[in-house]
Amino acid sequence: MSDGFWNRYTETLPREKLDALHLHRLQALCRYAYERSAFYRRKFDDAGLKPGDIRSLEDFKRKVPLTDKSEFIDQQLAAPPYGPTLAVPPELVSHHCETSGTTGKPLGIPYTLYDTVRYGESWVYGMWALGIRPSDTFYFAFGWGNFAGFWSTYWAARRLGARVISGGGLDTKGHVNAIMRLKPTVLISTPTFALRMAAVASEMGIDVSQSSIRFTYHAGEPGPTALPAMREQIERAWGAKAGELLGIAEIDAFAPGCPLGDGVHANEMNVFTWSMDPASGREAAEGEIGENIITSYVNSAQPLLNYRSHDLVRRRTACGCGRTWAKLEGAVLGRTDFMVTVRGTNVYQTAVENLIGEMAEVSNAYELVLTREADNDAMTVRFEPRGSVARERWPEVAKRLSDRIHEALHVRLRCEAVAPETLPRYELKTKRIIDQRPKEFRRALDR
Amino acid sequence: MHERIRKIREARALIAEAMQGCDLPQIEAMLRNADMELHWALWNLGEPVPLRPEMEIR
Repeated sequence: MSDGFWNRYTETLPREKLDALHLHRLQALCRYAYERSAFYRRKFDDAGLKPGDIRSLEDFKRKVPLTDKSEFIDQQLAAPPYGPTLAVPPELVSHHCETSGTTGKPLGIPYTLYDTVRYGESWVYGMWALGIRPSDTFYFAFGWGNFAGFWSTYWAARRLGARVISGGGLDTKGHVNAIMRLKPTVLISTPTFALRMAAVASEMGIDVSQSSIRFTYHAGEPGPTALPAMREQIERAWGAKAGELLGIAEIDAFAPGCPLGDGVHANEMNVFTWSMDPASGREAAEGEIGENIITSYVNSAQPLLNYRSHDLVRRRTACGCGRTWAKLEGAVLGRTDFMVTVRGTNVYQTAVENLIGEMAEVSNAYELVLTREADNDAMTVRFEPRGSVARERWPEVAKRLSDRIHEALHVRLRCEAVAPETLPRYELKTKRIIDQRPKEFRRALDR
Repeated sequence: MHERIRKIREARALIAEAMQGCDLPQIEAMLRNADMELHWALWNLGEPVPLRPEMEIR
């Protein structure tokens, strides 16, 4: 009986068995990376480490050097396309993808055929838990570039055995028309684009809550799990159940949404994760917020060991859904590199977004503008009052938003109303943070 | 579960036998894919199998 589990056996393995498996697999991965990747051989040698030194999970966490996206990008720029990060003969690379490039330079991601199978599988756990089945029909509301997120969704649909309809290069109205004509049951898009499509459909006189779509599934930015207000908006707009997974393009679609809707579970067949206090570098305890450090079993072409995600998460070891895989409550709570300290208070993008979502007279489009004022980081929230809100009421709405943020986050942010529909809308990665600070006050990846 | 795992291991052994001396690229590709899927099945049943079958059977 499968009920809500794609693989009940491994999704509920006792923690001791999972940890024993991880140790066996991490030891093998260390040997593999050391023998086959010049990049890792140098990292290990520089640290005075041999694969045989890893005798426990603690050894792995403490001794294996951390890796960061910027290192891989530098190596690839110096010797394109992959430089010394490639760990397989080039003829085994069956697919090239890239990250979305939102940090400036896209990272090249080589996959073997088997890597693509493993990556696609990761999506299916969360889809199955939401209720999506092989009898469903997927609609992909995105163009087909090199972005790993798009292709891995396709690998997932193939694995599940579902039908696929690609929206390809259609514009937003074209997507709406295609959905109404072809009657898919699952919409795959970024969460903000799902809302954008619903709004455009409404302008076209189409109510997509009455369409064939029964499920929406999302990735790529904070969605229905991290932002309950967004879940409510998407489910109401589409008349469908909304789910999401947490993925990182160069790693895996590694954390399917929990069916309880309050977090995601790390897929412990594909990755090993732990949390690190970014300030001290020590492991964060259960329930504490820390940076998610990820090791992937998926990427044999370009291994990723102790990879810094820069995602801030709160880890739990138990969940009411029955899964034993590590739970990340609320998915990503913030970014180490998008966490801004304003007058001594850490402000996370998603926290502000949730508060904006609570206000009925404000749209879900917003920007957080970072500036440097009097030796402090400062943040201004630019938001759009809905068209039905009279202009003379904007200052009052701004004050209420500022008060609400102050009440919830204990920091006073400037809130500035801009005209409806003037902030940019995105099909892929929504850019919310506008960093106008001088370079020296930004973190390395944001420079 | 033990019996299922045993049968999957047997299937991989049979596939390895079928691949020996196979001079038909199409059939060899099919057998290689079949072995990959069975390795993946063992991995997802928590079996301590080697990491990369595609590197082992080239």
